[in-house]
Amino acid sequence: MELTDADLVARVLADDDQHAFGELVRRHQSTVRGILRQLTRTDIALADDLAQETFIRAYKNIRGFRGEARFSTWLYRIAYNCFREDARRRKELVGVDEEQWQGEQDPQTVDPGLRHDLMHALNLLPLHERTAVVLCCQNGLSHDEAARVLDIPLGTVKTNVLRGREKLKRTLAAWGPN
Amino acid sequence: MNAMIDDETLDRQLREAAPYIDDDGFTARVMARLPAARREPRWLRAMILMGMTLLGSGVVYLLSGGGRFVREGVIQLSDFPVWLLLIFAFGCGLVVGAFAVILAIRKTPEVRDLARLRF
Repeated sequence: MELTDADLVARVLADDDQHAFGELVRRHQSTVRGILRQLTRTDIALADDLAQETFIRAYKNIRGFRGEARFSTWLYRIAYNCFREDARRRKELVGVDEEQWQGEQDPQTVDPGLRHDLMHALNLLPLHERTAVVLCCQNGLSHDEAARVLDIPLGTVKTNVLRGREKLKRTLAAWGPN
Repeated sequence: MNAMIDDETLDRQLREAAPYIDDDGFTARVMARLPAARREPRWLRAMILMGMTLLGSGVVYLLSGGGRFVREGVIQLSDFPVWLLLIFAFGCGLVVGAFAVILAIRKTPEVRDLARLRF
């Protein structure tokens, strides 16, 4: 029988079992890396660096995981914090922030070859809407779980998901064949 | 222009657009960067607990005059009628069972979440 995440966490806590932690990494690496790729706008190298940092922090702080939420939700919260800290550092270093980047993106100048690419449409969303859509719509988190991950009110998550979805639908409809 | 798609279709398309990412050595790289595991022997905790229990038992035994209170308690219990002993045993079982259920709920997130549901 396959061990649950809770069983593996218990082994890490009891015996500092790194093999058990390795299994947790194997199970969640794809989702964590996928979410970070969306947040970093498909900067694969940066996303993977942040994903590594996420798992290392998770290992160091695993005693802080009290099992109140799913292990994956706790992990996504760490990943989101890593991303935010990195974004803040970059803003300080090179003075480029999300809003500025957003202003440079114009749907009309997008490569026509990418027009049907849903992921590209997702990248055009503002960060707060993109994050909410990635967590709730793409990765199946409940609004409540996403609110915990992002540390924002439940109502804000619902609004961001709603707005993000509507924008995606409009973009996709506009990109469709006439 | 395409008609607007529904939420379910959009979510499905989003999930399909994000395929599984192969590990490709990622886990190994993470494991290589983990701090060294604590090498605290497993038996140490058991030995400490056992030692403390024995020490506590010894102190109680000495302070209670060689465990006289236990003998006296058993003698008193033997004077009780059988029906009272049965009720006493049943009560003890209920108390222990209640503690076990509370601990089990606290240790099981799924059950704990159910208990929080508002109807």
